Amino acid sequence: MNPSSAMPAAALPDSAPRGAAPARPRSRAREGRGALLAGRAIVLAGAVVMLLPFWFMFVFATHSNSEILSMPPPLWFGTSLGDNLRELLDRLPTFWQNLGWSFYVALATTLLNLVFCSLAGHAFALLEFAGKERFYAAVMMTMLLPAFLFMVPTALTMSWLGWTNEERALIVPAACSALGIFLMRQYIEAAIPRELVEAARLDGCSEFAIWWRVVLPLLGPALGTLALITFIGSWNNFISPLVVMRDMDRYTLPLALRSLQGSGQTPWGALCAGAAIAVLPLLVMFALASRRLIDGLTAGAVKH
Amino acid sequence: MHAATPHRPHRRRPLIPARWAPYVFISPFFLLFAAFGLFPLLFSVALSFHQWDPVGGVWSMRWVGLDNFAYAIARDDWLRKAMFNTVWIALVSGLPQHLVALPLAWFLHRAFGRWRNAVVGAYFLPFITSTVAISLVFSSLFSKDFGLVNAAFATLRQVPVLGWLMPGQAIDWSQPGYTKWMISAVVFWRYVGWNTVLYLSAIQTISPELLEAAEIDGASPRQRFLHIVLPLLKPMVFLAVTLSLIGNLQLFEEPFILTGGTGGIDQAGKTAAMHMYAVAFMDGDFGTASAIAWLLFLLIAGATAINKRLLGARA
Amino acid sequence: MRRRALLPLPFACLAARPAYAATGRATLTVAAFPDLDRSAKIAIESWAASHPQVDVRLTTRAFDDHHTAMTTAIATGANLPDVMAVDMDYLGKFTQAGGLEDLDAPAYDARAAAPRLARFTQGPATGLGGHLRALPADIGPGALFYRADLLARAGLAEDDLTRDWDAYIAAGVKLKRSTGIYLLANAIDLKDILIRAGLADGQGVYFDDAGRPQVQSPRFAQAFTLARAARRAGIDARVAAWSSEWSEGFRRDRVASQMMGSWFAGHLKNWIAPAQSGLWRSAPLPAGTCASWGGSFWAIPVRAEHKPLAWDFIRTLCLDRAQQLEAFRRLDAFPALLAAQQDGWLAQPIAYLGGQAARLQWRAASERAPALHVDRYDQVAKAVVEAELDQVLEHDKPIPQALADARAALERRVRRY
Repeated sequence: MNPSSAMPAAALPDSAPRGAAPARPRSRAREGRGALLAGRAIVLAGAVVMLLPFWFMFVFATHSNSEILSMPPPLWFGTSLGDNLRELLDRLPTFWQNLGWSFYVALATTLLNLVFCSLAGHAFALLEFAGKERFYAAVMMTMLLPAFLFMVPTALTMSWLGWTNEERALIVPAACSALGIFLMRQYIEAAIPRELVEAARLDGCSEFAIWWRVVLPLLGPALGTLALITFIGSWNNFISPLVVMRDMDRYTLPLALRSLQGSGQTPWGALCAGAAIAVLPLLVMFALASRRLIDGLTAGAVKH
Repeated sequence: MHAATPHRPHRRRPLIPARWAPYVFISPFFLLFAAFGLFPLLFSVALSFHQWDPVGGVWSMRWVGLDNFAYAIARDDWLRKAMFNTVWIALVSGLPQHLVALPLAWFLHRAFGRWRNAVVGAYFLPFITSTVAISLVFSSLFSKDFGLVNAAFATLRQVPVLGWLMPGQAIDWSQPGYTKWMISAVVFWRYVGWNTVLYLSAIQTISPELLEAAEIDGASPRQRFLHIVLPLLKPMVFLAVTLSLIGNLQLFEEPFILTGGTGGIDQAGKTAAMHMYAVAFMDGDFGTASAIAWLLFLLIAGATAINKRLLGARA
Repeated sequence: MRRRALLPLPFACLAARPAYAATGRATLTVAAFPDLDRSAKIAIESWAASHPQVDVRLTTRAFDDHHTAMTTAIATGANLPDVMAVDMDYLGKFTQAGGLEDLDAPAYDARAAAPRLARFTQGPATGLGGHLRALPADIGPGALFYRADLLARAGLAEDDLTRDWDAYIAAGVKLKRSTGIYLLANAIDLKDILIRAGLADGQGVYFDDAGRPQVQSPRFAQAFTLARAARRAGIDARVAAWSSEWSEGFRRDRVASQMMGSWFAGHLKNWIAPAQSGLWRSAPLPAGTCASWGGSFWAIPVRAEHKPLAWDFIRTLCLDRAQQLEAFRRLDAFPALLAAQQDGWLAQPIAYLGGQAARLQWRAASERAPALHVDRYDQVAKAVVEAELDQVLEHDKPIPQALADARAALERRVRRY
């Protein structure tokens, strides 16, 4: 039902391009204004559809339970935000601590991933060594197993290490994800010119220096992507904390919010308020990362 | 145009000899993997040859050889249904995800100036919305008599041409015939923005001069898209499709919350991962669950190998 | 250069976080799920006052999360609480395995306390080796809640629903025909009640005590037949329990009754239909059937750290009259303790139910309920039976075939080596 699917992939004549306007060929008249506007309208309508459930989450955060669960559901803000927040903090007194822990764990995991995955991606993309492809295949294999199979072994490992109930147990196992290596390798292979690396090697740079000074600066969009995926993945993960954390003031946010869901008497308003607060750091993260991701490197765009 | 030119360093012995550099670079991953990935991997392999109800404690495992695999392949009819559901949903939600995201990314790149980031942000929001909110909101949206989706269909039925495509009456989305469509719609909603972001970031790496030169030469936007952008985007398409394959074939969250954990009437919405979870925690049979996981692994590995053959040739 | 010095920063997270400073006090860990955690909080208030040297830590997780985490904890021996809540749905799995402490042991001697608790909880709480492995805190005796005013519109009275099952269906048909209102939310509800009809102490719903599936019995055939009859007669609204349509159905006068545990009255009053106060009534289940919806139990894992303290706490939760009544008053949790059930408060009229002293009725229902045997595979059987019922209701599968398939599927899934 997504209106974007109706968007014509057919010719939509262009408007004035960014940057210097080249001489317009006579054959291409300005016939496309209307179609362009139509395209924009469709995309915007799609954006509204995308936003709808999100919007409802914020609206529900300001209503009481019976209002939320009635049909049709409320479409505009209500007056119960204060009540919901109070109930949230009452039922979940550790809310702010949980938020803090989520943030800490996600941030640490992301930073570690940025370092380790780019190192590994660099090795796979730019270096030759024995057993390279076999190692890579092993790395990829780990991506294909479902998370909850790891629950029991993770609990065992953590109890042997004595890391139960500690944040280390959440950060360290996730510190270098196979997905991150995959992303990095793809990007480095596609976007980093070999000549540059060769030149640096000829200059006598150590591999580490090459990584730090040549590859990393060019990895902007990929680092942005990886940071985004890792942060979001870590933020939303609740399986690891479920089996590793014993005390509620050590929970991360998704687990804490889930603990409000009871049989039938779930405080949906409070839950949506909590979920709305929980999503704000992700929004900030996206705003920060999108600058790198989408705006990319306008100067110095790398040629293929 | 190079962003960084290393200045000539002092000639000193590098910290890491060049021969060892690759191994040092990938060592963080493999150390972590050895500690936290290998053990679970081997554990689940071993488990798949045992019968184990976890509530009995670790020492209550019993060896059964290939029995779990035989059961899963030959006698587990719910698994067969779940696999069918999984592949169905993977295709129906996965294909549009990419077919829509590609032209959308191109259009966003072209036609939205200052507003581009905001619009992309809107499409990306579903990716970060919490599942709690999703379950609540979508169960209300897809309600038969009061939901907005059916209401929208009803309104669109009035529109001349489009109306003929609309269903004739309110759809009961919980009926087995519609459950998978509902789940696919939600999965599409969730991930189309993510793919758009990926493709948009890849389009940024195409040099603007190339595109402008093509425009000057008289190429229409569609031609530019089909003949320049798409071929250059191939590596990113490979990446995005691989991620989609892996994610969709392991789909758990969305069908779980949309069917209230049950898989829906007549198991219409039960995916392989959901079935695996049920076998592990409801049947109390971790051995068979592990066997199913490895069977699913083979399926996903096969699918990604095919994908690599089709799309993975280096640009 | 300077930036490079920042590189080690992320590794700081690997440092150990200081654990809770040793205070010399014992820590009692209690693990529960909503809303049972609220009754635990009530107990903690009073218990902690009398045990000042003990720190009580309550951990709450969502219902499924809790049982998943407990399964993992028992499996690995890591992260175990001292006091563990277990819901009736999961009780069979936990008590039939070796992970829960034997409460018949002299240290606890729960057998002595057993007569003080609702009789029908004995069966579920008894586990491996025939020993008591858990104590019940609250129960959910089943009742038929109905809208007296809607029934009156069709000229029906309570007796038309409860006399016997044929009368129930006939009443539904009459209601639909004259007012267009559905008698029940889903025909599947009927199945759940009827498979429990006529069971005696020690019998199991899905399995006998040797573990053989009982699904091909007349009991199940009757349950399936009645559910199908209700569906064919068009008297059920075909909505899933707890969905928005379900609750909206009550609000909009589209569904006239619901069979559920006694705590349903509280839900009706609080959020489902607060505006309908005085219109609902509670009646015994039709044809004198007895069924119980859920129930919460408390147990001690075998490898818990502070077992004597845990037992002391459980005694407060389950055997203390004041605690049980307080939980009843505040949270609508029907007490399992017989002494609490005898309190005069139960005779109080309930305004929402039109002044009916319904609690007495629920107490009578709980006294009649048999002490059923629970099997560790009960949940599996439930899913299999429901899948077959779906086939019968949606695709017109013949009932004998469905039951035979259910039995075969059960024997396959529950492979007993």
